Amino acid sequence: MLEVERIQVSYGAAPAISEVSLRIGPGELACVVGPNGAGKTTLINAIAGLHRIEAGALKLDGRELSRLPRHAFCGEGIAIVPEGRRLFAGMSVRENLELGSYRRAARAERAESLERVCEAFPILRERLGQPAGSLSGGQQQMLAIGRALMARPRLLLLDEPSLGLAPTVVLAVFDVIKEINAGGVAVLLVEQNAALALEIAARAYVLEEGRIAAEGRPEELLAQADIRRAYLG
Amino acid sequence: MRRYALAGFAAAGVALAAVPFFRLPAFYESFLYLVFHWIVLAVSWNILSGYSGYFSFGHGAFFGAGMYTTATLATKANVPFLWTLPAAALVAGIFGIVLGAVVFRVRRLRGELFALLTLAVTFVLATIVLNTPIDGGPGLYLSAVPLPAIGPSPSSAFYLLGLALVLATLWIAREIQRSRLGTGLFAIHDDEDVAEVLGVPTYRYKLAAFGLSCGLAGVAGGIQAMFISYVTVGETFSIAVPLNVVLMSVLGGSRHWFGPAVGAAVVTALLYAFTAGDYAVAGRAAVGLILILVILFLPEGIFGQAVRALERRRVSAAPAIDAADPPAPAPGTAREAAGETLLEARGLSKAFSGVQALAGVDLEVRRGEILGLVGPNGSGKSTLINVVSGHFRPDSGRILFEGRDLAALGAHRIARTGLARTYQIPRPFAHLSVLENVALPAMFGRDALERADAEREARRWLAFTGLAAKATSLPGELNLHQRKFLELARALASRPSLLLLDEVFSGLTHAEIDDAIRLIRAIRAQGATIVFVEHVIRAVMELTDRIVVLSYGRVIAEGQPRAVMREPEVVAAYLGKPHA
Repeated sequence: MLEVERIQVSYGAAPAISEVSLRIGPGELACVVGPNGAGKTTLINAIAGLHRIEAGALKLDGRELSRLPRHAFCGEGIAIVPEGRRLFAGMSVRENLELGSYRRAARAERAESLERVCEAFPILRERLGQPAGSLSGGQQQMLAIGRALMARPRLLLLDEPSLGLAPTVVLAVFDVIKEINAGGVAVLLVEQNAALALEIAARAYVLEEGRIAAEGRPEELLAQADIRRAYLG
Repeated sequence: MRRYALAGFAAAGVALAAVPFFRLPAFYESFLYLVFHWIVLAVSWNILSGYSGYFSFGHGAFFGAGMYTTATLATKANVPFLWTLPAAALVAGIFGIVLGAVVFRVRRLRGELFALLTLAVTFVLATIVLNTPIDGGPGLYLSAVPLPAIGPSPSSAFYLLGLALVLATLWIAREIQRSRLGTGLFAIHDDEDVAEVLGVPTYRYKLAAFGLSCGLAGVAGGIQAMFISYVTVGETFSIAVPLNVVLMSVLGGSRHWFGPAVGAAVVTALLYAFTAGDYAVAGRAAVGLILILVILFLPEGIFGQAVRALERRRVSAAPAIDAADPPAPAPGTAREAAGETLLEARGLSKAFSGVQALAGVDLEVRRGEILGLVGPNGSGKSTLINVVSGHFRPDSGRILFEGRDLAALGAHRIARTGLARTYQIPRPFAHLSVLENVALPAMFGRDALERADAEREARRWLAFTGLAAKATSLPGELNLHQRKFLELARALASRPSLLLLDEVFSGLTHAEIDDAIRLIRAIRAQGATIVFVEHVIRAVMELTDRIVVLSYGRVIAEGQPRAVMREPEVVAAYLGKPHA
């Protein structure tokens, strides 16, 4: 479904990622692991349309996306939970969620989506009327995930969804991700908690210094001693 | 450095002061006087608004206060003109300080609200002056006021007065930028709350900057009253003064003391060049067009961009930072007996719009320990750090740190008692370099170092946290991991005896967590006490001597990590499954 072919993205003169290729099949769950500074966030942001792709191709169901304007990515069915949450802090939790279903196709299913999100994160239901900025860090992370789900995406991009979450909530978030994926949504997950990510992913990529250093099924990667040591200890 | 600058100012002053003695036509002197006049207004505006980011649209009010002070004293009380100028400075300055004393207390009045409020003050003042005996409507004539014989002609008297004021204003603006006050103002510009928590007395600094800014505008107004010799409310308190001043500063560059001077000279010259012909409208259009181009292509202003380009060249020519910088010195002062109570919180409560974030928390931190603070999301961990560090005031309860009650102190005073914190989502000063970010708390913390010493100290902490190679970068160029370590370096630079860390481990890979654990151990070995909030259970188990578990704003468990992590209540509320 998603094909990324030898893309390059730079900040100023220095390329942050180069020659990166990956593919995600329909309904597949793939993950990217790697040290900080390897370019994982750059990669996921580029797929979401937040960075200009200088070279290479980005295709969704065979359609070239890399020249589309930023806002059109959402219309193509791609939603992202960005690093640092990026919520609308002054708006209420409900408004944040409703903005997630801004595009026409998602708007029709708004009530149902909201119900699903509140089921996945019960604390959000209690806080629907409060400003997003008043939530605790972990609750904001849940809201960011909820907002992305409201768009009813075909491809969900998650940048470190477990960041700042209590262990129980991390487990709950991963259950929700599995459930969404089981419902047919393709997922690309960037995650530091490699043990958990590799457990639920069908395919994994190791990104180091802006390039794909290894790829394969999780069990294949875990068979390599250096990868085990760096990411699982 | 300072001696060269002083010599430069003196040379420029002497050279420019010689101009009237060439007996140029009065026209040139008057033109140059106007350039000086606008430079003083723009540069003085910049001291508060450019440095600290508090955009004032009320500069006309303070300028006008000076104008009417001189006009009133000279015409109604027969005070000699020169003597009215200190009075003009005083009236405008005090007016600014009184206004600031009210406005700066209110957190909401930042940004556009401050701009609108200062504009409103201008109109209020205009109404008062117009409807009281100060003016009363017809305006004040100063043509009968004797002008002191400075220089060979009346126009050269204004020229020389303007010159003296310009030199004084530029010198003051330059000294402020290089001083502790300036550093604090630039920090306020980027993130006022963080500046306060790092020890910057934000309220006092804003007042000082506002007072100076207004006082200088007042003197400019006093001279201008005499220059135009007929003062009216409509001309004085018009919107033109603040608009021009903002435009000039943005054009020249508001992050450097000299930027607004360049902008003021350019705009005044352009307007004058066109009004001299029949093209006044064309002049305004040209200024507008130039402003648009500058905003698009030189966002830091003409002068600001030039300075930045120069700095970049200098940095790339500078030698690489020595990787073998000496290891970090011990934070904290003498090692007191480990185990005694360092921080004690009793009955801390804090509510936000109906949510009880803290519901009577009792907490004890012992000297030399590493205390882990864990609990579900929203259980009040970050709020506790925010309250202890003075970011929020508690609704009730006491916080005793080394025997002093912190609940009554402002955040910047708390920073000076030897307490430092990091933010969960890093909040660096975006326009300051990594090095300046770390040097700031060393300047404003307990030791209050001079800039050079603070930067030396900062370099050590950058080396300690592995950021030495990034010293000249802006925080925006760092990735999340590096920004987290920048937070840590900044907290360490004040040499705290108690360090509060909010999720420094989140987002790190397994191998990076190992490095961070070593780092935290090294910090403790140097004598600091550490409280950290964390969800990375491995780090909590490996590092902490004791843990405290919060849930719904209350302490539900505390004690040895292994024992606490097995308690059924903790498992149910937090872990989901028992920790091995």
